[in-house]
Amino acid sequence: MKGVVFDIQRFALLDGPGIRTTVFLKGCPLHCDWCHNPESQRLSPQLMYNREKCRLCLECLRVCPHDVHRFDSDRHDINYENCRQCGQCVEACVYGALTLSGREMDVDEIMHIVHQDRVYYEESGGGLTISGGEPMLQYGFTAELLRAAHHNHIHTCLDTSGYAPQEHYREIVGDIDLVLFDYKYFDADSHFKMTGQSNSLLLQNLEFLYHNGPGIILRCPLVPGINDTVEHLSSIAGLAVQYPQLLAVDILPYHDMGRDKASRAGKEYRIPAGVVPDGNMKKKWLEQLFSLGCNKARIV
Amino acid sequence: MFETEKIFTQTYIKYRNEHPATRELACYGAMYPSVLGEIQEHDLFAGRISYPYIGFSPEPGGFGYYIQKEELLKAAQENELDAEEMREVNNLIAFWENECTKTKVRAAYPQQTARALPSDNWTSESGVAFPLYRLAGGYLDYRKLLFTGISGIIYEIDNYESATGDVDTLYFYSALKNALRVFSGICYLYAGKANRMALLCKDEKRKKELTTITDNLEFIAVNPPKTFAQAIQLSWLYSLVSGVLNYGRMDYYLGDFYVHDIDKGIITEEQALAMLTSLWQLIADRKTVFNGRVIIGGKGRKNEKNADRFALLALQATQDVKEIEPQLTLRFYNGQNPLLWEKAMTIIGQGRTYPMLYNDDVLVPAVAKAFAIDKADAEHYMPFGCGEIVINHKSYGSPNGVINLLKVLEVTLHNGCDPVTGMPMGIKTGDIAGFTDFEQLFAAYQMQVEYYVEQLAIQEEIEYRIAGENAVFLFQSILYDDCIKRGKSLFAGGVRYLGGTLETYGNTNVADSLTAIRQLVYEKKECTLPQLVAMLDANFAGHENIRLKLLKAPKYGNDDAVADDMLVRVHEHVCNFTRQQKQKTALHSYLVVVINNWANTIFGRVTAASADGRRYGESLTNGNAPADGCDLNGATALLNSLVKPSPAIHAGAVQNLKFSREMFTDFRPQLEALLKAYFRQGGAQAMINVVNPGDLENAMREPEKYGHLFVRVGGFSARFVELPGQVQREIINRTLYTKDRV
Repeated sequence: MKGVVFDIQRFALLDGPGIRTTVFLKGCPLHCDWCHNPESQRLSPQLMYNREKCRLCLECLRVCPHDVHRFDSDRHDINYENCRQCGQCVEACVYGALTLSGREMDVDEIMHIVHQDRVYYEESGGGLTISGGEPMLQYGFTAELLRAAHHNHIHTCLDTSGYAPQEHYREIVGDIDLVLFDYKYFDADSHFKMTGQSNSLLLQNLEFLYHNGPGIILRCPLVPGINDTVEHLSSIAGLAVQYPQLLAVDILPYHDMGRDKASRAGKEYRIPAGVVPDGNMKKKWLEQLFSLGCNKARIV
Repeated sequence: MFETEKIFTQTYIKYRNEHPATRELACYGAMYPSVLGEIQEHDLFAGRISYPYIGFSPEPGGFGYYIQKEELLKAAQENELDAEEMREVNNLIAFWENECTKTKVRAAYPQQTARALPSDNWTSESGVAFPLYRLAGGYLDYRKLLFTGISGIIYEIDNYESATGDVDTLYFYSALKNALRVFSGICYLYAGKANRMALLCKDEKRKKELTTITDNLEFIAVNPPKTFAQAIQLSWLYSLVSGVLNYGRMDYYLGDFYVHDIDKGIITEEQALAMLTSLWQLIADRKTVFNGRVIIGGKGRKNEKNADRFALLALQATQDVKEIEPQLTLRFYNGQNPLLWEKAMTIIGQGRTYPMLYNDDVLVPAVAKAFAIDKADAEHYMPFGCGEIVINHKSYGSPNGVINLLKVLEVTLHNGCDPVTGMPMGIKTGDIAGFTDFEQLFAAYQMQVEYYVEQLAIQEEIEYRIAGENAVFLFQSILYDDCIKRGKSLFAGGVRYLGGTLETYGNTNVADSLTAIRQLVYEKKECTLPQLVAMLDANFAGHENIRLKLLKAPKYGNDDAVADDMLVRVHEHVCNFTRQQKQKTALHSYLVVVINNWANTIFGRVTAASADGRRYGESLTNGNAPADGCDLNGATALLNSLVKPSPAIHAGAVQNLKFSREMFTDFRPQLEALLKAYFRQGGAQAMINVVNPGDLENAMREPEKYGHLFVRVGGFSARFVELPGQVQREIINRTLYTKDRV
């Protein structure tokens, strides 16, 4: 079985315990305003253009059969609509300005890479993390990867938004050791505005996963002025009370590095510039959560 | 002016035709005591040395009977000598240019060797291979010294002497004993100095220290030491006088003295640390640049518990004394006292680089195989200098040849011509236009390597032979197996295993170049080999696109089989061929070393642009490291690549690893796991650096060389090199200075 993968990071240290290999799967049913992997949202491979690296050599124009590249008075514009992801311009671009995000890989190919770091997992208590995108969108592929890893006694971790049919989680829950479960906002309407989906399904799945095996770390992205409201922080603390066995409550402070990738993927990025939280703000969030009784909170 | 040099020269001339042992002894008499330095204000031990412009030494002053011509001329000019004095200096130079050991070695080269190695000037001339003149890497039997004492060793020599009737051997033994008496004399001389200083000293504490120095020197001049302080004094002073630059398995020879004094309440821990700190400072002040190794830990120490206690003290001294030397070296194995490892990690995390780490579980069997010796001997493997391995006081393995492998490829691509100078170089291996497949090119490269390695092995053998004919190296012969027993000097049949080593540079550049050539020329057929070589000769001028394509080809250091297999192939060829030279020479072993110093930069300056994308003049890669900025797959992939070339066919390879400071602060358990996994998988060695402010400046200038820097954000997918410049700068700043992640 093949899946569309847009990155594999070895020696990942922040996607679960120990030293891990994180496999990023393409495609996401949400489109959060602050998404830091905006190139992952679409399921199919995607052309990325880095203006800083472009030397206007016109090689891409020469090889492209689909009229994607336009040059106008020292400016290179991309018509993303026309792109069929054939990769010819990427191959021709020696400056690395054009890349293709996402390619089809099969389970064996990925597991071969995962296996290369097996000794590191053993020494560190690490393993495989599947992230995205939303890995449950390519649910069948995710299930096979998890099964293959578990079969080989490799620790597995799923980084999910929780937005998938519950029966999908039910089928794979036996092969997951740890879930990094996103929690973005408490209020269903606002959640819809921020992400394009309501949060009710997510909360049902959290309930399900919590009672069915794997350890869970709640991962809460906080964007100043967008979702760092008192009500939301209270609801995070509330979840920690409701689910006392949560392993941790991780606060993921907003960072700005998705902006550049959005522009390279030809996507709109809606978070205004200049809202990156400073150290004081992160400390304040943590103090608020502690004062609300959420002592498992930590900044990652 | 130059009194020592003149007296030395007169003495040498007077004894010129005497037995080499007798002559050498007389020359020591001319050098000592004038080369010895005063006891300085904070020294707890006597012994400092500075070598004259003309003298005798294995390496530190020069090779054998040496002259430092440039330095001597410079000093003469600075002192504005009159015409008569200048004439004397010129006479000295004229005499020694003919008579020094180095000249005699070069004169002994057969025609073939002289043709392959036409120059000795490796730091400025363009060339493939050069000889180095030195006897580097001596490691003395300090335990014998400390547990037998000066008089005990004289007694031992007496016994051998009375059993032989061979006149030559009698000269040798007699000189050995007299050398030890010279050493005793040096002890008494320093004792006298310390005593006079004590009498004049007004500070009571310092007076007491100086009195102790006096008493200890008078005692060890004859007797085996009884205390920790005496043991340090004897071993230190003997190292200086013998001219060795590395200080042995210190925990093995000082551990028992240390534990004895502590447990009997003779000294406190504070006093012991103060002594070691003083020794560390003395070692640092000697400024040997590439040496000063102190080895601790590892298998084969019969007094392991005591040795480990000393090793912890040594680690503490290294934490406190922030100098480049000693180059503290920790050997370890599975099952060793974990305190040593833990302490080492803490110190490394502070950015000290030391201790360098050596994995016995890999290296003991690897050394046994590479050197063809048994395991018991291999347990006493000792890295010295930049990372060459010898066997403690049983083997010599002086690195007396250097070869620039990338230059070998360059000369091959020009069919026996150096494109930098336009002069013929090496052998003609065929016109590259005729290489219709990659294997033909590879075979030509191999032939060129073999041509040089054969001559380098012969050169090493000659260098030892001439050294052995000219000098006996008395102080080292006394403490080297089996010189006394055999009645033979170090390089004239005395040392048990007389081996040699060859420093190779540019190994990774060659492998990456060959990978790129195979891909672009023979697989993708982007250009022909002559076309590519023309672009290299033009230093890529007008062909930047080809350079970028070459850079895009697989590179060593990413756990990529294509690139790594090529490195292994290059590595195995040069290592195995070099190792085979022991069959053609009298050397017990002749082995490659892949080490770290500045030779990669020196050679880079005269090496044309290469097919790995490197431009003319840029440094070659260092040690066994990937090219700068080319390891893009993370630390686990890098380490997986590093363990692929076999450690069992050479005499040492150095692995420089660099981690950002946050790895030691925020990710310490993962870092330790990373290293443990590396060593478990066959990692032999690691020298761990912490990214420092100097790197920051470099990274700002050349971000493309810092592709290995990581962006640590949970669930975020991006490589450092892909980020906009402003963000790159922020990340560099953050990973260097603060713990606060984005």
